[in-house]
Amino acid sequence: MGEVSHRSIKPLQVNPIKLSEPMGATLAFLGVDGCMPLMHGALGCTSFAKVYYTRHFAEPIAIQTTAVTDVTAILDGGDYSIVEAVKNITRKVTPSLIGLHTTGLTETKGDDIRQVASQIDFPLVWVNTPDYEGGLESGWGKATRAMIEQLVEPTEAIDDSKVLLLPHVSLTPIEVEKIKEFIASFGYEVLALPDLSTSLDGHLGEKQAALSSGGIRVEEIRGLAEAGMVISVGDSMLPSAAALQKKNPFLRHHHFPHLQGLAATDALVELLLQETGLSRPHPAIVRWRARLQDALLDSHFSLGQTRILVAGEPDQIAGLCASLHEAGGRVAVAISTVDSPQLERIPAARVLVGDLEDAEALCGACDLLVTNGHGEALAHRCCKALVLRGFPNWEEVGNQLKNDVLYEGGAYFLFECANAATAAREGHVGSDRSDQKKEE
Amino acid sequence: MADKPKIRELLDESACAHNKSKQSPCNAPTPGATSGGCAFEGAQISLFPYADAAHLVHGPITCLGASWETRATKTSYPGRDLTQMGFTTDISTSDVVFGGEKKLLSAIDYIMAHYTPEAVFVYATCVTALIGDDIDAVCRHAAEKYGVPMVPVHAPGFVGSKNLGSRIGGEAALAHLIGTKEPETTTPFDINLIGEYNVTGDLWQYSPLLGELGIRILSTLSGDGRIKEIRTAHRARLNVIVCAKSLISLTRKMEERYGIPTISLSFYGKRDTSAGLLAIAEALGDEGLIERTKALIAREEARLDGKLQPYRELFKGKKAVLNTGGNKTWSIASALQDLGIEVVATAVKKATEADRQKARETLGEAGVLMMNPGAEQAKIIDDTGAHLLLAGGRSLYTAIKKGIAFADVNQEKKKSYGGYDGLLNLAEDLKNALENPVFENVARRAPWEK
Ligand code: SF4
Repeated sequence: MGEVSHRSIKPLQVNPIKLSEPMGATLAFLGVDGCMPLMHGALGCTSFAKVYYTRHFAEPIAIQTTAVTDVTAILDGGDYSIVEAVKNITRKVTPSLIGLHTTGLTETKGDDIRQVASQIDFPLVWVNTPDYEGGLESGWGKATRAMIEQLVEPTEAIDDSKVLLLPHVSLTPIEVEKIKEFIASFGYEVLALPDLSTSLDGHLGEKQAALSSGGIRVEEIRGLAEAGMVISVGDSMLPSAAALQKKNPFLRHHHFPHLQGLAATDALVELLLQETGLSRPHPAIVRWRARLQDALLDSHFSLGQTRILVAGEPDQIAGLCASLHEAGGRVAVAISTVDSPQLERIPAARVLVGDLEDAEALCGACDLLVTNGHGEALAHRCCKALVLRGFPNWEEVGNQLKNDVLYEGGAYFLFECANAATAAREGHVGSDRSDQKKEE
Repeated sequence: MADKPKIRELLDESACAHNKSKQSPCNAPTPGATSGGCAFEGAQISLFPYADAAHLVHGPITCLGASWETRATKTSYPGRDLTQMGFTTDISTSDVVFGGEKKLLSAIDYIMAHYTPEAVFVYATCVTALIGDDIDAVCRHAAEKYGVPMVPVHAPGFVGSKNLGSRIGGEAALAHLIGTKEPETTTPFDINLIGEYNVTGDLWQYSPLLGELGIRILSTLSGDGRIKEIRTAHRARLNVIVCAKSLISLTRKMEERYGIPTISLSFYGKRDTSAGLLAIAEALGDEGLIERTKALIAREEARLDGKLQPYRELFKGKKAVLNTGGNKTWSIASALQDLGIEVVATAVKKATEADRQKARETLGEAGVLMMNPGAEQAKIIDDTGAHLLLAGGRSLYTAIKKGIAFADVNQEKKKSYGGYDGLLNLAEDLKNALENPVFENVARRAPWEK
């Protein structure tokens, strides 16, 4: 491990990768079937979130705003605009749940949304998500914890056939689905909270979605405390796991900082073998492990001579760096949006909290960038190879089907990075897509 | 405080046609039943294309984190394009408690030291406005320190819509930039382009024609704009509002203050482009210029007609439904008509009174003006046998269900549809949409559903 700095020293962010807590909470609520996320703030935050996710997922995104104005900003304690918003939403559609989350504005005002929520006679989960605290991961985590605290019924009963997956925000819909299937192949019934694997997976909906469709159902959330086992992925999900443990002291919780690469996947398999008493996993898993081993070997020529810069949400970059490191990829710089205990575990020469300006300053010593779509311009300017991961990616389609986890996704990820690095070394960088962009 | 725009005044814009109607679209949004951007977004959009200025968003991460690099406002600026960069103070809890002015000043220092912009726009956002950070004082101080304009923009999201924000952005430019510098030279044919943001390069579709006519674009607000130029805008002979009602109060004030007359026009489609060019020439009032303009229009139209001929054959008898907002409700409709496509319906839900009138004129009596397009468009497609739906991405499913071609005219627009050549781009895109088998394929039933 290299040098880790937990705080940015600049008085501003230049070309941020960071996203806000309300944005994370929105996404978490979209992982619930028939939910309407309701952002409590002025209308802009909601509009930005809607456009942002619509472009990233290429899906219609359900979300509403309480539309706080200058008048309500000063006079209203939240009561009017929230109650009115719920009335207006339910006049047109019947959500299974309203996911009420705040913004910096309404937190600064000091609105007591808990109190307002208690007066509303409609299934609703509320959560405080000021955008001057935390980031995308913590917003998603807080909304998940709120759903657990406010919806899950406490119990002491245990259903050993049931597993609950708590995925961090950067896992794509297909990754969540793959992890669910992986665990299910050991004979479990698996639920995920939140579950984007069925709501934002890019399926062709029947109609224009006024509400989220797919995702975990509210009744399923209510019964989650009887899951025999809870598997959290990403440190941002630890508070949610703890909240669930409070609902049922008998459920067994297992935590994985991430599920990328050979070692992490092995650890999951080991756990599941132990729990089930099986001696071997499903043959498909055995085959994929062999393929990943082969992928490690095949990609190590290229990755072994590649110095890499990775930037993104902490839980995500922890996985990406671990996976690259296993194949000999040298992560020279890892840049995280916010601080996290994950940073201590990242196998990189240098780990810092920062932005893409920092990336630009440090990328001279790197050949390959693994960043979000904002990295496209940077890679082009600095002539670096680029693999796009994280939010947002408006440059490419198919984000919901990008799979980097477990043995299978791990193999694809290594190939993609190795190929990108090789192409760059052979001078193909900045071809095709980037050139087009310049001409446009 | 003195610098802050009077919101009431801006809402009561006397030059704004819909002002008289009771239900003004500028009114407060309805909780739980509204969409659209905030004033901050509007202000940012109206000022953003100044590529030589830094746009510093004073607030928590939401405002900028979710909005930078979202708009393709193209620029010919040879230096580093600062609009493709995001600057934010990213204030934290302690700033909310103790105030963010110090951090703001250090952020400006940082930007001046590392990027030396021609100006810095400082945007107040919801949180920093609420905690009362005095961005005027910080900007004054920084402007003195660096001798570069520092423009405070008071458009926190809660004051209103995107449209209001654009006005506030215009006001900020008027208060802090316009008239602060003299141009090196002037000509009798100097104009300002107001409200053209050069999205997808729209401006460049017609600016060469203006150049050919000897009309000089002295400054723009703000497509492909430069700070140095907008500072000299008070010396123009004419303000030309392009396709945007939101900056009308700005041009009215420039008329009062500097005696610059204003005309408003659009460069979408053949007829509008021609009419627009002629309107500029006539407003500048030079006989020779008018003659030259007429000749240029004749030449360009003939050239375009030749190129459009094959498309017209293809589009013969085709009907389209248009579901978009604002001036696009009629400007794209008229462009479609130029292509020989019959526009059977257009949405007017998000349009002002004036835009509605224009839509009525453009479509004629038989055309449907949809007040609730989401619900109406499917039926209209059935009733009229329309072949094409032009709308935002959300309406894609309607098109698939009806098995007709679809073209996105909102978010996803990548090419310019402005000017004469833009019409060719539009024609090509519509041709591709009509010929694309994807809509039929997607609508195909699964073997197990047959
Ligand atoms: S509504 Fe306020 S906080 Fe939200 S994006 Fe607009 S200015 Fe920022």
